[in-house]
Amino acid sequence: MAEVLGVLTKYNQLMYQGLQETLYMVGFSLIIAVSCGIPLGILTAITRKGHILENKVLHKFLDIIINIGRSIPFIILMVAVIPFTRLLVGTSIGTTAAIVPLALAAIPFVGRVIDNSIQEVSLGVIEAAQSMGATPGQIVWKVLLPESLPSIILGITLTAINLIGYSAMAGAIGGGGLGDIAIRYGYQRFKIGIMIETVVILIILVQVIQWFGNKLAAYFDHKT
Amino acid sequence: MIELKDLNKQYRTPHGSLTAIESINLKIREGEIFGIIGPSGAGKSTLIRTLNLLEKPTSGRILINGQDITALSSKALRKKRQKIGMIFQHFNLLSSRTVRDNICFSLEIAGVPRAKQASRVERLMELVDLTDRADHYPAQLSGGQKQRVGIARALANQPELLLSDEATSSLDPESTESVLKLLAKIRDELKLTVVLITHEMEVIKQVCDRVAVLEKGKIIEQGKVIDIFANPVQPLTRRFIKSVIDFNLPTNLIDEHNSDQLIRVSFLGKSTHQPLISSLVRKYGVNANILYGKIDDIQGTPFGTLVLKLEGEEKLVKDGVAYLNERGLSVEVLNHG
Repeated sequence: MAEVLGVLTKYNQLMYQGLQETLYMVGFSLIIAVSCGIPLGILTAITRKGHILENKVLHKFLDIIINIGRSIPFIILMVAVIPFTRLLVGTSIGTTAAIVPLALAAIPFVGRVIDNSIQEVSLGVIEAAQSMGATPGQIVWKVLLPESLPSIILGITLTAINLIGYSAMAGAIGGGGLGDIAIRYGYQRFKIGIMIETVVILIILVQVIQWFGNKLAAYFDHKT
Repeated sequence: MIELKDLNKQYRTPHGSLTAIESINLKIREGEIFGIIGPSGAGKSTLIRTLNLLEKPTSGRILINGQDITALSSKALRKKRQKIGMIFQHFNLLSSRTVRDNICFSLEIAGVPRAKQASRVERLMELVDLTDRADHYPAQLSGGQKQRVGIARALANQPELLLSDEATSSLDPESTESVLKLLAKIRDELKLTVVLITHEMEVIKQVCDRVAVLEKGKIIEQGKVIDIFANPVQPLTRRFIKSVIDFNLPTNLIDEHNSDQLIRVSFLGKSTHQPLISSLVRKYGVNANILYGKIDDIQGTPFGTLVLKLEGEEKLVKDGVAYLNERGLSVEVLNHG
């Protein structure tokens, strides 16, 4: 037992750095994905048939874009966007470079999550706002987003957890983070203890994020 | 105030076009509570929703104070809608806002300066008697309270017209009554015009001045509520009236008296204050035995029916019936005996 603990302490510094890298990648890609995905999701939702800015062509276009984005396996996307990553970051290796494919994969995901959340807002409430003379912009800001906020928060929580999973994969191509450690030490050097430790840290991380997301969503939810 | 001219609305469905309302011509006067009643699927909802163009008519014109709202630009229409309040069957309140903020919502939409919002909201909460619920969320309110929030919200921008889309249909009888009383009160105090749709004759009976009956997209009968109640023409109208005031004789009574002379006397308003039955007895020497009776009241006007068994000489009975007719009662002979 003492031996195992000794090994673990030896690698504490390594684990700490890995966790930091994971949080850095996930945090930044999440911010980018949310800031692009929310407008994408809103636009997809409100151009749907019968909604406030019905537009068949635009809706179909956005819908297909989101579906395509979500059907590409992350591992393939990661490799495919290397030239783009190089253009943007200057390199295709390292944690900063990993943010590019992570964000690109998460944007359509967030888009769909927001689209779904907004669809949950009852048409009656939207109609009430229209009957008061609200503009589409007012309806988005004062009705759609506040009314679907709890659902949006849960959706973003889901995205964050997905990104943790993806970031582990990014480790495979030199992205750094906990996934990288698990592969280099655990898989390639047969250090099972380290592999288990990274997994435990990831489990705790996911639990904490989900718990926080649930709490935050409940705080904003006044439906019951 | 409102004039609908040749209003039509057709929906395109995969199975061809469906007519929701057809050739609607209607005038609604300023300051009245106008009711539109019809069974479900009659087009009531479509009709009321054309009044603020939530539903665009296929053809026809909608004049509000002489202005054709179908010709307005979308910006001008939004401005106009601020002066047309609307309340809904399912309230349609924002679940994420408190009572206070829900009412404030319509002021925000209209761009009322923040400094003015608070005092107006306070006054509206007083009007609908919800001051003590100001910081509650809709989920914490009863149906009646939610609808009162809806009313306050609809009144926030001082509309000239209030549309009520089945506003009491999902409320219990007690809340229905309090909401209807509130509607009558705001009409009196704020001098606005109210158009409501309902499938409940009780609502029409309690608050409406005039009523139109809608069947399969067409108006089949309209007039003052009291006149429609006293003298319904269409079978559908009769059915609606029967749902609140059933003047039919119980069948066992009919069987029991199938060899007697029975008449049904209906009366409305003033004639109830005259001792007509006793005059009948005294003047013609006819014996009148009251078998069955019902008296109701429509917004303060007594309205009722009596079934009498008459006994006496045939000619005297005939004269007596003629006398009652003369005095403004409507008499129907049920059974000649």
